[in-house]
Amino acid sequence: MCATGLLDEKGKVLSNKHLGRNLYLLTVESPQLAKLMEPGQFVHTLIPGMEGHILRRPFSVYATDAEAGTMDILYQVVGFGTQHLSTLAEGVEISNIGPIGHGWKAPEGCKRALVVCGGVGAAPLFMHTSEMVAAGIQVDVVLGAQTAEAMVCADRYEQVLGSPAVLATDDGSLGYAGFCTVPAKELLDTNSYDYVCCCGPEPLMKIVSRMAAEAGVHCQISMEKRMACGVGACLSCVIDTPEGKKRCCVDGPVFNAEEVIW
Amino acid sequence: MANVNMQVNLGGLIMRNPVTVASGTFAAGREYNDFVPVERLGAVTTKGVSLNGWTGNDSPRIAETASGMLNSIGLQNPGVKVLREKDLSWLEKHDVPVIVNVSGHSFDEYVQVIEALDDDLRVHAYEINISCPNVDAGGMTMGTHVPSVEKVVSLCREATKKPMIVKLSPNVTDVVEIAQAAEANGADAISLINTLLGMAVDARTRKPKLARVVGGLSGPAVKPVALRMVWQVSKGVKVPILGMGGIMTGEDAIEFMLAGATAVSVGTANFVNPHATADVIDGMIAYCEQYGVKDINELIGALEC
Repeated sequence: MCATGLLDEKGKVLSNKHLGRNLYLLTVESPQLAKLMEPGQFVHTLIPGMEGHILRRPFSVYATDAEAGTMDILYQVVGFGTQHLSTLAEGVEISNIGPIGHGWKAPEGCKRALVVCGGVGAAPLFMHTSEMVAAGIQVDVVLGAQTAEAMVCADRYEQVLGSPAVLATDDGSLGYAGFCTVPAKELLDTNSYDYVCCCGPEPLMKIVSRMAAEAGVHCQISMEKRMACGVGACLSCVIDTPEGKKRCCVDGPVFNAEEVIW
Repeated sequence: MANVNMQVNLGGLIMRNPVTVASGTFAAGREYNDFVPVERLGAVTTKGVSLNGWTGNDSPRIAETASGMLNSIGLQNPGVKVLREKDLSWLEKHDVPVIVNVSGHSFDEYVQVIEALDDDLRVHAYEINISCPNVDAGGMTMGTHVPSVEKVVSLCREATKKPMIVKLSPNVTDVVEIAQAAEANGADAISLINTLLGMAVDARTRKPKLARVVGGLSGPAVKPVALRMVWQVSKGVKVPILGMGGIMTGEDAIEFMLAGATAVSVGTANFVNPHATADVIDGMIAYCEQYGVKDINELIGALEC
């Protein structure tokens, strides 16, 4: 398997908004990638002005607007790169390699899906959720966040679903008080699903994978690892699978849950 | 490419321009072909290959450091058979010389890898990797003292008549002595530098940033060390040198040639800029045009001290 049809697209930052806590929404000009990105694929971004920090950073894509030629990236400030990214003004040009990797794929004939998102994991599942809703699949969404302030995707999900997603916050400031695994488990026990997809911190994805396996429901998760090339060449981002090491970037980032040895 | 001759001869390997890639940063070229058609390169250097493949080290395998990065991939590779079936089969459809980077855990394994490849006309040269810092046996353990360098290079020499480049580690007291041992035992060219052994610590978690704790440092941070070693070795051996270490631009590559390199490898730069190899080639041509250099070979060792 190898990367094909990759572009290195340069585009201007159109807006870079602080949404709450350490979360930001970047909108970047990307006439070609906005047409090409499939739900769950990601871009590998060179952030300008980072001096000694030379590597690119991988970002999932939250939403694309093919007509406007723009791409939304929801990111959390976690280190130097994202901190620096949060300071970029409108008009600064960044370079995005994409579309990278394999995205989400609902099973054939899927009737009802459960989407479980932890934190910024809500971003890479948004386009997939929209796609499933448009295809007539009944979709239940659980959004988890640390606090109400960090629950930044709920409105967009509500728009797409036509009703509010199930919300959970660790501190109880909004929705269910506690981890989103609890309402996710309730839904899984109550309804009959043929697909679960999950993105968020690894412990969350591990728990949801196990819950789905116990319920006998097909499950996909999206992995993130430290990455250098982002195109499948350097073997930095490998994960362990029953078939040996696989590259998170181009063999993933979305994997069938049973492929991942946690 | 107007009026500049870019062709060089690296120990019997004719390259249409002096630019290849540092082994392990470019796979076999396919992953970067959307950005740089492999035919543009002077040669492709493939990811290090062992006889039956290795699984490599645990994750995390990389860490960004000031002006560079550490890696401890550990020569993960699927073995010679897969190299032949997948990578060489893809490369044979492209008009580009192929340098296979050869790795082993033992003296015998290096020889076995060469024996498994030597009748394959799709392999044009070898780069013998006696300098990887990320494996417990073979790699750097073989390339850091003279008697084992003599032994592994002479054994490989007996196994092939193809151009044989020996890749050296910078983690030694006297790199010239190692280079001379490689030359005396049949190396057609010397490549350097492999990565510098280093480490990074996360103060917050009190853990090393790499699962293996230590790894190899590459990128612009190592360029001054690489240039120094290329310059020293070029004065101590007669065989040509494949220089590498932090080359990001055409001007960086020219600096290596002035210091004594006949050809250069682009490594970490590929991760930053997927067009890096093409940009380096274009930058070298632009330099030659600007300074009236008609033949790139004029620059080899032309440093004025």
